[in-house]
Amino acid sequence: MATHRADEKRFLDERGSSGPLAPNGLNPATIMEKPVRERIVDSYFWKDQCFAVNEADIVDRVVAHVRFIGGTYGDAQKPSPFLCLAFKLLQLGPDDDVIQEYLGYGGEKFKYLRALAVFYVRLTRKAKDVYLFLEPFLEDKRKLVMRTRTGRRLTFMDEFVDGLLTKERMCSTTLWKMPSRAQLEDEEKLDPRVSPLGDIEDLLDSEPEEVNGGGS
Amino acid sequence: MQHLRAIGQTGEVKRATAEEVRERIDRVWERIMQEKKEDVKTLGERLEVRKE
Amino acid sequence: KNWDDEEDDEDDVDDTDDLDPEAEYAAWKLRELKRIKRDREAIEEREKELAEIERRKNLTEEERK
Repeated sequence: MATHRADEKRFLDERGSSGPLAPNGLNPATIMEKPVRERIVDSYFWKDQCFAVNEADIVDRVVAHVRFIGGTYGDAQKPSPFLCLAFKLLQLGPDDDVIQEYLGYGGEKFKYLRALAVFYVRLTRKAKDVYLFLEPFLEDKRKLVMRTRTGRRLTFMDEFVDGLLTKERMCSTTLWKMPSRAQLEDEEKLDPRVSPLGDIEDLLDSEPEEVNGGGS
Repeated sequence: MQHLRAIGQTGEVKRATAEEVRERIDRVWERIMQEKKEDVKTLGERLEVRKE
Repeated sequence: KNWDDEEDDEDDVDDTDDLDPEAEYAAWKLRELKRIKRDREAIEEREKELAEIERRKNLTEEERK
């Protein structure tokens, strides 16, 4: 019977040694920075809600407790339930077929489950797979609450995904440096992305003021 | 401790398959839909009471 | 439930979808167009740099002085 350790002790002890690596070659135990990891395992949410949790329980936990995305927040830099569950996923190391359930079938029903899965994919998958897994959700316009050190603000799934693809840091986590999409296209590892909006040249030519941020 | 029983003495928790994850998604979704229905019902009942 | 603190200010930001589907679609479309424009400009910038490198490579020693 395939099992996980109920707690994280072995996961954290295996740092840099025998633990399995993520598909992108990184050690999942050190993908988040040490102070953040320490805050997570010290947090009440982690101890109470992330012990003896498997891939299916993640669904319950997200639906019950994830009301916003973000890393650590507030003056106390408290780790969000979102970040704690992302750390749990790093420990569980779910396969692609489980991730597809989170992203697709489950993600349609529960937007914060999709948000958690896209974040996890960005941290652990190879660049090409990150683009392939994440880009379809640039079409997902659903609202998300993002909580930062200073407060809550509204964001959107597409904006979150775009941030994961283009920014260096999200949710208190430094994102590993991926080759750009253009580079992967040059190496013929990826086909050019086609926007759901259709022919880009037409769009850009016909609506220049709108593109420049003028709006209606 | 409920979860200590669930994992037995070994400190291990069973890995879930993609199918089990999907079943869980369905179960959680149904539960939430049920709760919503009940919320609407209780709201309706409350409105009934207010009318009296 | 310590982790569910500050419940009271949770209503500050409302993430309910489909309150105004048309406006939400229009806002998404604008975001998508901006991304496309940004990505296209990045590619053009890179092509310009590559062209410049190529041009310099082709200069003779004399021209480079």
